[in-house]
Amino acid sequence: MTDEQHPGDADGSAVDETAAEERSRLQDRLSADSLTSRRDYLRVMATVSGGLVVGSVAVSAGVLPRHGDAAAADVQPLKVVDRLRRGQAVTFAYPTEHDRAIAIRLQDGTLVGYSTVCTHLACGVLWREDRGAEGELYCPCHEGAFEPREGAVVQGPPPRGLPKVLLAERTDGSVWAIGTAYSDESRLHAACRELNAKDSGVRLGHVACPNSARS
Amino acid sequence: MAHPADRPEEFRSDSALGAAAPWSAPGSVQPRLNRPVADRYPQIRPTSGYGDSRIRRSGPGPGAGTDHDPERSAMLTGRLVVVLSVVVGQLWALGVGVDAWMQGHTSTAWWCTGFEGLSFLIALAAWRFGPTDH
Repeated sequence: MTDEQHPGDADGSAVDETAAEERSRLQDRLSADSLTSRRDYLRVMATVSGGLVVGSVAVSAGVLPRHGDAAAADVQPLKVVDRLRRGQAVTFAYPTEHDRAIAIRLQDGTLVGYSTVCTHLACGVLWREDRGAEGELYCPCHEGAFEPREGAVVQGPPPRGLPKVLLAERTDGSVWAIGTAYSDESRLHAACRELNAKDSGVRLGHVACPNSARS
Repeated sequence: MAHPADRPEEFRSDSALGAAAPWSAPGSVQPRLNRPVADRYPQIRPTSGYGDSRIRRSGPGPGAGTDHDPERSAMLTGRLVVVLSVVVGQLWALGVGVDAWMQGHTSTAWWCTGFEGLSFLIALAAWRFGPTDH
């Protein structure tokens, strides 16, 4: 018999060591898990509950940015395009350069404008004329879709409709962005609210404003 | 000198003689410690025990070392379930509040915040004001 070691023995011992190390790690992890008791969970969840209260207060107090806030009423009208033909769409930024928006001329001549930030997870929304009866605003991230008339959700996970951008067309055919709306807010409501915020004395002619102070 | 128990040959020889080994004989080498219990501890009377006013603790007895309140564990699980349910409700209310606020319904968002606050109070009560742990 010799003192030579067989290569297979060395490999076998290495495998054994690896397996032992893995078992040791698993045991450590299980031991660490067992240290978290039901009382610990109770304390952690009570803390989470308090954190949710703080978050809710922050939301209600207006910490999050919101499309259509009255502060945006200070933004000047923006010329979007000289002319927008039927079936055409153009993207632009309004009211700030970070707010992506789109203006669409539907086939029946209706002019609509929306924020292109999806209300689900803020992905970019695309205009897809080949979808739906009149086309759809489509979010490719999670297959969300919005109908083009009012921006309502027709498919997918978005929780709210797309916020509108108020558009106006001048007699020379140029299209202007003149204001912003909240999610699911009507154009008339948003226009009246922003006119009230500006307090410029401008009124919508013969159109009666609803109670524009949303509560 | 090694203890007799460490010397098996001596132990074997003692056993063979039929007499108890000196190291295993009952009692003490000090006679005062071999007196009857009543003599050694005159304070302990025949009535000592639960009827003795000096006895303040029951000491180890039936049930010692076991859970004195078996329902305590179930109550802890129940409290945990209550708090988890409260947190789920708070997550729902937060979603509703964010949606309402984004739609301009600020008062609805504040109502949701009030709901969250009340829910937190319930969670706090379930956490802090449970039965006293041993």
